[in-house]
Amino acid sequence: MLIIAGIVPIKTLPLLEGRVMKERAFLRIGDYQIPATQGTAAMISAALAVSQYFQLESPRAVVAGDIGRGDGSRLIYQYLIQNLLQLKPRVLALHYCMPDLELMRQLYEQVKLLDPPPVLIADAASMYAAKAVGLASAFDVFTPDLSELAFLADKEAIHPAYIDKHLFESCDIKTVPEFIALAYENQGAARYLLVKGKADYIADKNGILSSIDGPDIPELECIGGTGDTITGMVAALIYKGLNIPDALKISAQANRLAGAIETTTPATRINEIIDRLPQVFKSSLKREIS
Amino acid sequence: MFWPKKKDKTGANKNNLNQLGQGLILFDTVEEAIQAEKLVKKAGYTCALVAPPPSLRKGCDIALAFNLVEQTALERILQSIPYQQVVPRAGTAPLLDIVQVTQYPRHVMVKAGNMKITYEKESGLIVNTSGGGCPDIPYLHIEILGQRLDQIARPRELGHTLCALMLDRAVEGALEIWKGEEIQC
Repeated sequence: MLIIAGIVPIKTLPLLEGRVMKERAFLRIGDYQIPATQGTAAMISAALAVSQYFQLESPRAVVAGDIGRGDGSRLIYQYLIQNLLQLKPRVLALHYCMPDLELMRQLYEQVKLLDPPPVLIADAASMYAAKAVGLASAFDVFTPDLSELAFLADKEAIHPAYIDKHLFESCDIKTVPEFIALAYENQGAARYLLVKGKADYIADKNGILSSIDGPDIPELECIGGTGDTITGMVAALIYKGLNIPDALKISAQANRLAGAIETTTPATRINEIIDRLPQVFKSSLKREIS
Repeated sequence: MFWPKKKDKTGANKNNLNQLGQGLILFDTVEEAIQAEKLVKKAGYTCALVAPPPSLRKGCDIALAFNLVEQTALERILQSIPYQQVVPRAGTAPLLDIVQVTQYPRHVMVKAGNMKITYEKESGLIVNTSGGGCPDIPYLHIEILGQRLDQIARPRELGHTLCALMLDRAVEGALEIWKGEEIQC
């Protein structure tokens, strides 16, 4: 089972757990429709695109409404803490949530009881919480952008808004290898990193394993949700059985190709990018994925 | 110095604050600190009065400890109470104030910390926001998308978290650039 957990920006949405279906520009979970916009909904949509293409079982979503107060986030944490041993996920991807360090710690205590252990993926504030609570190395995959890489490399920072200014300013495409090394040295990195930027880097504790720098579509950086879709594809491809470095590389490549196969501007919306994914899998990545 | 053990309205034990990624709000007087604690708790947020470490002590001997991620919400709640400053308890880095700008043919992307906002040069319409990870970011994305930069409710008014504060700084930077461009036109 692939579980994706995170909040959606609908204040009144209760906690939902279940298989996800796509309905035009929406996701359906049980009786509820959720717009496939930036955030966890975009991540689930991309995972669903992979699942449907390979005829895998759909991801299970654990979502709740939260517009910033942390109420839905706590419901998600509590549900996972109470039910993880019954759910027995093979892949668990944690996404937008209020970074509650104590609940993250409790959740990890439940993860440790699972045999076999799930592949653990964190992005967005779940990645911030995992790093801040000192559990980064217990995770299998983080997918930071450059500013988030600086955060992972900063031993003291508990949020990317409070990174050391020098680290923030000096983290660019030329210094990525040093920052990756620093993140591992300071216990701020997961087993694998996919660093998203002008070039995307896949790395582990030994350094950079591979990089992807084309096609170069600078407009993708503007589009809210392009990081979410990468992480969603990563989760689904790992669930399909790909090894982690391959899943990271193919997902980064697919995102770039989705930006290249049709005109992409800074105003393109993430659902347009998601809709292009099946075509990318079919035309350009069939051999790599198989 | 006191360490009450009862649970507050959110159900969190105050000692849990040690595990929440603490921020501290520093005050000039004890009265202001106590008044601030009441207001913050009334709004439903977890907080506790603590002794600030000597290196951070500037005014009185009591500071308000809170979950640093919720800085935006607490600053809004405490608008009526004077306080010295908000500081992270661990580490020494101040809040990032760097704004970076990327030009596209018809659009401008402004980045503050981990948050980015992109607007159309001619109209000032917000066409995208990206980056960040806190739970108010997907909500803010929907709220301000398609609106003109100078007509939105600001992220620091709508949001609760540090990512919202960074997005607000990006909006501020974008407004300055867009208004500058308008003047040049």
